Order: sequence, then C-alpha cells, then structure tokens
Amino acid sequence: MSPLIQFRNIAKVYGTGNTEVRALWDVNMTIDSGEYCSIMGPSGSGKSTAMNMIGCLDQPTAGEYFFDGQNVAKLAEDELAHIRNRKIGFVFQQFHLLPHLTALENVEQPMMYAGVSSSQRQKRAIAALEQVGLGNRVNNRPNQLSGGQQQRVAIARAIVNNPLLILADEPTGALDTQTTQDVINIFSELNKSGITVVMVTHEPEVARLTNRIIWFRDGEVLNHHLAPEELASVTAMPV
Amino acid sequence: MNFAESLKMATKTLSANKLRSGLTMLGIIIGNASVIAMVGIGEGAQKYVNGQLQDLGPNVLFVVPGNREARQLGDLDIPRTLVLADAKAIATQVPSVAAVAAEKSTQGIVNYRNRNTSTSITGTTQGFLNVRNFEVAQGRFLDDLDERSNRLVAVIGSTLAERLFDNESPLGKQVRIKGITFEIIGVLEKKGSSLGLDYDDSVMIPITTLTSRLVGRTSPYGIEVGFISISAVSQEAMETAEFQITNLLRLRHRITAGDDFYIQSQDTLLDIANTVTGALTLMLAAIASISLFVGGIGIMNIMLVSVRERTQEIGLRKAIGASPKDILSQFLIEAVILSALGGLIGTAFGAGGIFLIAAISPFEAGVSVSAVVVAVGVSGSIGLFFGVVPARQAAKLDPIVALRSA
Ligand SMILES: Nc1ncnc2c1ncn2[C@@H]1O[C@H](COP(=O)(O)OP(=O)(O)OP(=O)(O)O)[C@@H](O)[C@H]1O
Ligand SMILES: [Mg+2]
Repeated sequence: MSPLIQFRNIAKVYGTGNTEVRALWDVNMTIDSGEYCSIMGPSGSGKSTAMNMIGCLDQPTAGEYFFDGQNVAKLAEDELAHIRNRKIGFVFQQFHLLPHLTALENVEQPMMYAGVSSSQRQKRAIAALEQVGLGNRVNNRPNQLSGGQQQRVAIARAIVNNPLLILADEPTGALDTQTTQDVINIFSELNKSGITVVMVTHEPEVARLTNRIIWFRDGEVLNHHLAPEELASVTAMPV
Repeated sequence: MNFAESLKMATKTLSANKLRSGLTMLGIIIGNASVIAMVGIGEGAQKYVNGQLQDLGPNVLFVVPGNREARQLGDLDIPRTLVLADAKAIATQVPSVAAVAAEKSTQGIVNYRNRNTSTSITGTTQGFLNVRNFEVAQGRFLDDLDERSNRLVAVIGSTLAERLFDNESPLGKQVRIKGITFEIIGVLEKKGSSLGLDYDDSVMIPITTLTSRLVGRTSPYGIEVGFISISAVSQEAMETAEFQITNLLRLRHRITAGDDFYIQSQDTLLDIANTVTGALTLMLAAIASISLFVGGIGIMNIMLVSVRERTQEIGLRKAIGASPKDILSQFLIEAVILSALGGLIGTAFGAGGIFLIAAISPFEAGVSVSAVVVAVGVSGSIGLFFGVVPARQAAKLDPIVALRSA
C-alpha cells in the first residue's frame, strides 16, 4: 500500500503570546491508500483542524504535508482547488447542501467545477444518488428530505467526481441510530470499492466499524494505530 | 466552469430570491429610465429647435442691432442705430439680396367691437411676405404706399382673425389697436409658430405707422427697427450678401472699429441652438447618471450582504473544488445580470416616459439607439464595477471560517 496522506511534524498554531492555541502540535501520521479509519479524541483536540489540513482547505503553520505524493505547501490556490475537486470528497456534520437546489443539482455542483458537460453531469449525478439509495428523490430540495437523506445526498456529492479520498467530519453527529447505520454502511461500501475513507466521530460504535482508529489529544496524536477492539482501553483513558 | 454554465447558475440563484433581486434592480431601473428619458427629452428639444430654425428658410439672414461679442457677454444696452433707412439701402444697393423686410414689434390690446385681446403688433414692410415666406389668404399685404403715408391699415394673422371675427370676414373691418382705429386690408395664411414668434396670432401694420402712432420715435437716426430680415438670391449668394451688407452698414454707420450690428444666418442660429440644447442634454444626462451611480451602490450593498449571508455556500463551493476565480466570477456575473437586466427594464420605462412626454408636448419622441446601447452598457459596467468589491471579498473568504459559520 502506498501512503496517500503523510503528516511530518505538522503544527497549526492560532494566535500568538497569551492567546496562542496549538490546534495541532508535532503531528506525524500516515494513512495509506484504501484505508478505512476514524479519528477520535475529546472536543478541541484538533480533529477538525487535522481534517481541514488533510482536505487541503488549510495550510500548516509548520511541518510538511504530502498528499498523493505532492507537497501541498508548494501548491497554488488553483491547484489546491483542483485537488479538492478531483481527489477529495467532503462530508460534513451539517450536510451543507445548497437549499435552493434539488438533490440532483446539489450532486452536480462538483462536476460543474470539473467542466463536465450537462448531460454527463446529470447521468453521473443520478448514478451517484442511486448508489446511496436515493434514486427516487432526485428532484427534492433539501428541506423536503430527512436528515439521513440529506447526508446521503452529501455523500453522493462527495463521490460523484470519483475521488481517492472521502473526508467525513462527524458525518453522523446529527443523525439518529438507524440513519447512522445506513450512512456508515455506505462508507463501508465505498471503502470496499477502493476509496480511502477518513472519518471523525465521537461514537465508539461507529469507530469500531472502521479498521483503524487515530486518537488525538491536545493537538497531538496519542496513538495512531489503535485497533477497533482496543477502543475500550482508550475511552477509559483520562481525556 | 464555462460562461454559459455560470450564467445559468447565477440566474438560478437570483430567481431563488426574486423580491430581493427585484428591489436591487430597482435602483438601476430608475437610474437608467431617467438617463434614457432625460437624454430623450434633451434630444427632443434639440430636434424641436432645429425644426423651428429650418422653418426660417435656407437663404435668410438677419441683421440684428448690437455688437455680437457684447451681446454674448450679456450687454443689454443695445445701440439704436439700426433703422429703416438701412433696410432700404440694403434692398437697393446690395445686388445679392432678393428681398428685405424690417420689423419692430410691441405688445398691445386689439379690439373689435366688444372683443379684445392682447397680442403682438408687428410693424413691418412690404418685403415681409417674400422674406418670411408668407402668403396672403384674403385681401392684400402692406405696400410701399401704406408705409410712406403712415396709413392706418393692418394685416391680421389667421388665428387672431378667428378670435376676433369668428366666421365674419375681417376685410374692411375697423379694429382698434392700442386705442387707434385701423382698417383690416388682409389676412395671412396660417403658418404656425417659429422660434417662439407666432405671426398667426399677431397683427401687422406699416413700420412707419407703428413708430409714429404707437411707440413713438426711439432713435435719433431714423425709424428704429428690431431686426432686418433679408433673403439672398440663392444659398450660394449668402456669403456674398453677408459681406456686402456688412460693408454697407459699416459705411452707413461710419464704423471704424466694433460693429454696432451683426448678421445671423440659419446656420449660426443652428450652431447656437445646438450648443445650448447640447449643454442641456448633457446636464440632464449628468443629473440622471447620479441616480444610476446610486443604483450601482445599491447593487454593491446588496451583494456585500449576500456574500455575508452566503459564507457557508462559498465555503462549501470552495471545499468541492471552486477556485477563487470561480467564486469571483460567480458573484460578478450575478452583479452584472442584476445591473444589465435592470438597465434593460429601465430603458423600457425610459422609452415609455419619452413617448408619454412626446404625447403631451411639442417635442418629438426620440429614443436614440446610441442612448440605449450606452445606457445598458454603462449599467452593465456599473454592475461589474460595483460587483468587484463584494466578489473579491467572496473569493478571498477562508473556506474553513466560511464552513464553520453555521
Ligand atoms: N480559527 C481559529 N482561531 C483560533 N483557534 C482556533 C481556530 N480554529 C480552531 N481553533 C482552536 O483549535 C483547537 C482545535 O480545534 P478543532 O476544531 O480542530 O477541535 P475538534 O477536535 O474538531 O473539536 P470538536 O470535537 O469539538 O469538533 C481548539 O482549541 C479550537 O478552539
Ligand atoms: Mg471538530
């Protein structure tokens, strides 16, 4: 397996002096292509900061980040946008669907920035929506869909450009147990098809379904090779 | 993302919030409507004045008392040196001249039996008919004999004739002009007003009679005239005529420096009128442009609010692969659509306004294509100009901050 994500002594510091916050501090970690892993840790431990950095939305204060073999610090704004568009799919806790667009149109958005023709877009968006089980909801707007359905539209949007990586920051944080299960099943399916999935979660039951757990505390990675069955030992740790 | 796609996307976003888009456009609509209407009115006035001047005929020259420069500087102390004898001299001594008329007018009451009306009383000479292109409908016009003998005869304009005499024939009737009894010897054919002078609504008497009986002698040099109108033998002879008349009058007035008269042709009048109406048009357009500018600021304002409101959308778009350029063009296109569409609608309203004005005023309706092109182009550019600040703000947004702002 080749490494897809490599953090080398990554630090992210906000503010200076008294107000300095070390959101990330000397983080080293590697995630290989095809992995299915979760990131856990207490609130404020730097999970979202790390996710944003992995997703090329943010640049580190210090250290080096290699994504798919490229040194991200060396890339221009447009190249970063291109990577986010083609290689990465984001899923957020609050779904972030555009309210005035239908499910289909929401899923089409990333392809618009990829320059896909209108007819191709429609075909691929429908296929993606079918993949997440929403083939019968393509023309509904977000406010006509349940939370679980909205999150599935967001997943369809994340996968429609065939990315290498899905980044999901607490994707089930706003969902109930049943819909959480549906969403996690989709992630498992996607991972089986070869897509790398990295997911932040607070729920041990969700983390347990992934293959590896990376544990954050106070901006540092405490343990980045935690097997799901070892989870109990970590949750017991003082946080 | 290609342009057609961006356009479709922007249209969709704007139509998702129709009320706001409409209100945003309102400023531009009003601005543009006023620009179109004002320019239209200005150009209408220009055409109107030009039309009036063209009525004068192409061969006509006017000799006006006073020094041109002094009058342009606002000197109202006009010398009383231009007299009837000058007109006679021009008629007899300048070969390139076909006909000459002297004119002087005053205001006064004219009554016939129990009817009376205030109108303009013009003292003139026989040449008037030829120079000013009038026809006599009934009777005859004033002649040399009337003039030499200070006769109490009058020729009446058609409008005035209707007012005083209804359907009666005015010929041979006695009217009182400023209390003095005159006999009507002729009625003029209707012609319409020209340059604010409406001969249809006036009465003409010999200029000698006017001076001796109505206004009195006002000049030590002879019978003072208001102006002398002259028709040259042809359009080509105009320059010659002007030159010869100038020489003759300088000689007669013993002028060595600084004329006490000047000569105006239709062309010089047109030039003056065009300068005035052009300035008027420009001023109206400038005033209207201010409202267009204010409309542009309105667009900027709403776009700034819109960027703030849509930070999440912007963050999301960046996360799914929009480059700063994509975001910039998205907001710019929205601003340009608002302003250009507002511009088009405003143009339609402005054109409507012009036709309305044309319907109730003597001005012709004129929506000039150039004004429309300029107005729509300008309002589009205004959108571009005022859209830049909000669009750049959007493009610069940090996606993380934008996404967090839930
Ligand atoms: N823009 C910022 N300015 C200052 N401090 C920030 C900023 N963004 C994040 N932080 C700080 O960095 C630290 C890490 O934040 P982060 O959002 O990564 O935590 P998290 O692990 O995702 O927490 P949660 O589980 O609550 O989502 C926190 O202390 C946070 O207050
Ligand atoms: Mg977080």
